[in-house]
Amino acid sequence: MTHTSMESPPLLDESALRTSLYDEDFKKFNWNLLLLQIVLFLIGIWNLISATAVEDKSQGLYKSQLLWFSVGACVTALFLLVHYSFFSRIAYGIYFLNLMLLAAVLVVGRESLGAKRWIGFGGLRMQPSEFMKLSLVLCLAKYFESDRTVGGMGFRELLPASLLVGIPAGLIMLQPDLGTAMILLLVFGSMMLFLKVKPQVLLILGICGMLALPAAYKFALKPYQRQRIVTFLDPMSDPKGAGYNSIQSMIAVGSGKLLGKGYKKGTQSQLNFLPEHHTDFIFSVFSEEHGFVGCGLLLSIYLIFLVSGLAVAYQSHDKFALLLAFGVCSIFFWHVFINMGMVMGILPIVGVPLPFLSYGGSSLLTSMLGVAILTNIANKKFMF
Amino acid sequence: MAFLGQEEQIREFQERFKYLYAILFIGLGILLSRMVYLQVLKGDEMRQYSEENRIKKVKIASPRGMIFDRNRTLLIDNRPAFDLEIIPQYFKLSSAEEKVETFHHLSRILKMPESDLQAILDKAKGQPSFLPVKIKTDLARDEVAEIESWKISMPGIQVEQEIKRTNIFGDVASHLLGYIGEVNPSELQQLNKAGSRYKLGDSVGKYGLEQRMEEVLRGQDGEKLVEVDAFGRIKLERGKSRVLQNAAEKQAVPGKNLILSIDQDLQLAATQAFGDKVGGLVAIDPRSGEILAMISRPSFDPTAFSRGIPSQIWSQLLNNEHRPLRDKTIQDHYSPGSVFKIVTAIAGLEEGVIDTKSRIGCSGKIAVGNRLYHCHKKGGHGDVNVVSAITESCDIFFYRVAQKLGVDKIAKWATYLGLGRRTGINLAREVPGLIPTEAWKQKRFGQEWNGGETLSVAIGQSYVLTTAIQLANLYASIANGGTVYRPYLVREIESYDGQVLKGFKPETVEQHRLKPDTLESIKLGLWGVVNSPRGTAILSRLPGMDFVGKTGTVQVIRLSADKIYGKCESMKWRERHNAMFTGYAPANDPKIAIAVIGEHACHGSSGAAPIARAVIRTYLQKYYPELYSEKAIAARLKAGGVPVAIPAQPVNDDLTPDDGNDTTLPPVPSTQNRED
Repeated sequence: MTHTSMESPPLLDESALRTSLYDEDFKKFNWNLLLLQIVLFLIGIWNLISATAVEDKSQGLYKSQLLWFSVGACVTALFLLVHYSFFSRIAYGIYFLNLMLLAAVLVVGRESLGAKRWIGFGGLRMQPSEFMKLSLVLCLAKYFESDRTVGGMGFRELLPASLLVGIPAGLIMLQPDLGTAMILLLVFGSMMLFLKVKPQVLLILGICGMLALPAAYKFALKPYQRQRIVTFLDPMSDPKGAGYNSIQSMIAVGSGKLLGKGYKKGTQSQLNFLPEHHTDFIFSVFSEEHGFVGCGLLLSIYLIFLVSGLAVAYQSHDKFALLLAFGVCSIFFWHVFINMGMVMGILPIVGVPLPFLSYGGSSLLTSMLGVAILTNIANKKFMF
Repeated sequence: MAFLGQEEQIREFQERFKYLYAILFIGLGILLSRMVYLQVLKGDEMRQYSEENRIKKVKIASPRGMIFDRNRTLLIDNRPAFDLEIIPQYFKLSSAEEKVETFHHLSRILKMPESDLQAILDKAKGQPSFLPVKIKTDLARDEVAEIESWKISMPGIQVEQEIKRTNIFGDVASHLLGYIGEVNPSELQQLNKAGSRYKLGDSVGKYGLEQRMEEVLRGQDGEKLVEVDAFGRIKLERGKSRVLQNAAEKQAVPGKNLILSIDQDLQLAATQAFGDKVGGLVAIDPRSGEILAMISRPSFDPTAFSRGIPSQIWSQLLNNEHRPLRDKTIQDHYSPGSVFKIVTAIAGLEEGVIDTKSRIGCSGKIAVGNRLYHCHKKGGHGDVNVVSAITESCDIFFYRVAQKLGVDKIAKWATYLGLGRRTGINLAREVPGLIPTEAWKQKRFGQEWNGGETLSVAIGQSYVLTTAIQLANLYASIANGGTVYRPYLVREIESYDGQVLKGFKPETVEQHRLKPDTLESIKLGLWGVVNSPRGTAILSRLPGMDFVGKTGTVQVIRLSADKIYGKCESMKWRERHNAMFTGYAPANDPKIAIAVIGEHACHGSSGAAPIARAVIRTYLQKYYPELYSEKAIAARLKAGGVPVAIPAQPVNDDLTPDDGNDTTLPPVPSTQNRED
């Protein structure tokens, strides 16, 4: 079972540095994801300036977003200096540390808008649930690295793994943060499916899921969350109340038409018709001002980004790296899909940020760490 | 490397990537098709929605017309009121320390416990958090100043300015001026059926002149298009709107002002004279029918109503046994009692059943059928003629006259003189009063009229019901020699910038040519009431002012014989007699006629006459100082006026006992008829 991969290469010694940066042909360094990240981030900042132009509490928030980006850039640089096998070594440690933080949030966390999601370190606020997404992928990649199950997983293999996602997801639901918990479950599900699950197990799970759905609706969801589902199914049931966000954001997207209303001229967002328009609903600001052409372009960038990410996974030379890269890609995919789907009214409203565009330090940092991991993997494939 | 062992598995994984790419393309494809749907297919529709979203018609409120008295003393004004509001959405965004600070400041400034503030916020939890929640209405000036100075450190707190309809003199004449309130759905339907455009939330006159002159007082709201945000807040970027450079604006037109015939000094004098007595007063200019003073006590302060009545205050007003919400000058019926006797006298003289020299002996009682009718003076008045009968309020004299006339003749003259029908004053809810006839009784009770009832009618009792304004108008028509005017309150309507738009002229309802003898006798009798030693109101005499009138004291419930002559003041308030006084001044050139009703004030002479006296003195001294200032009167009296000796102990009470000997009477309508 045990592999001896831990012997190479020594962490941060000179030879490692040489291997990673100097020995490689510099031109062969895979810049794709870093460049795409910068493009997305610049679009994000540009858009955020518009979204926060109105005089209210969010004004000037893009500055702190820039600050977070520079923090992220430093961490990215550090990440590129180590071999990803180092992540494999500390995977469980990271995971448990993150679990501790999640538990701490519930005890000493700061409350905002009715949820306890943040934990303070001096002047900085941090959202451990954001980092949990990466920690989970790291942990699962490590856990399944040595897995040799043939013919797909059965319940015996799935059950312990589902504890790994169940505990953090449960802690996050307690905050409550339905969106992030859901992302964890989706990422977990994606990885399990990728690793292959026995068809009969899938069938049974599917049936159980169907049966459990009404009960979950009734008992696991808070009233406001239930309300969101109701209004998703019929937004007009309460246009001024719970369905308001959904309707206004659809209007924002649609009113952009082909070419958009122009930068900083989106009335829906500039006039505050859109709540949370600098965080979860940031895409509606963008689509209102830049229209279908802008949206199509943005979607294409995300597509290229995800294809590049998957290519990194495809080309990895070991299972841990492959699973890690795939997991990170699935995080990005689900964020983009759920966020845009929600803003355009095809999914219920859940608090899921749009990578690189939504305001939020922890979210941005998590996305950048994800890109750093992918880039790291991408540039270690020739080392053997 | 050790990884090599995984090669096979990795190859297997790589096989699966085609599915991943497929899922990726399908997922983003769904998003793309949704974009096509919303932005391309539905784009125009959505664009239109967003346009409607941000451009909103905003009402420019028009100020309601002001109300002035005859000398342009401002009675009702529109004054700014300041409300403290909190917008939960912004309040929630502030940090915990800020919240504590905010509550701390507010609690200190408003002198309100923090728990109350929290309770108000909690109560508003159900509504969208961008809607402001009112914390306190009508802030005091210093509260506003202090809140403004702390505002920066209190996020989500704002002071809103609103217009408050203000009755400057508080509860003086509130019944007459009335009040406004938010239009309710049923009123809305009615108003808009009549062609006005009201919306929910608009104010509308609900009572008094505010109601009757609604069309005049109400301005025309203007409207403008503004760019608003989702909270309905008007959004102007650096002073000007980006999309509405030349948006059309409709100016608001202020309501028209009213100039009343009322004199506020008289109102104040009357209010003061009433003190805490209960009742009503109407003073009319007998030369025109203009109302000079009109109050009903106790009263209420309409200012409290203009922005919604706190239910606590409302229920207090409703449950008050003195019924402050009713206008006792037009809405309540009273038995006039002895003040009605002049009607019997006029009917007798004009119909010729008596003349000015006819004398009738009063022995204190008279038998009709098998029953005895008493005079209020136990021993009787001896020989009386029409003048002394009025002066001394001799019941027997009027019984005899009534016997000769019959009830229908009395009713004929009462109706001529404006009783038993609405005066037509421009106020809602005026009741008509009641003057009984034989036919009326037949119709109402299906019973024959009985002769004894005629006697009761002669002295203003039994079925006779009047209102204060009818009595004032009755005495005004005696004062002016027989003309019944329609009383009116509004002299002029003027535009907000002071141009007279409409003036009101006197309107004659009835014009009678009474025989000069008739008028002279009545006037002489009335003069005696206040000015002769035998008169019932001699204590209220105004030397040199020739104030004349008639008292009335009306039993309100059946009492046993010993109680009737017992001391009124020692009875329960509800059982005490009503006090009436009606009159005018000066005797030979009347300029003001007046009626006062003091509910349960015991005696016309002490409970009502002094109030009339105070108002008349104020009026004459204010408008005719050359004749009636203290100095002018003193000079005149010195030059030869004969002061009348005032008896030390006038005990003239004209209460006619309703002493239980009329058990055959059918039930009498309550003296305070409550039907509207």
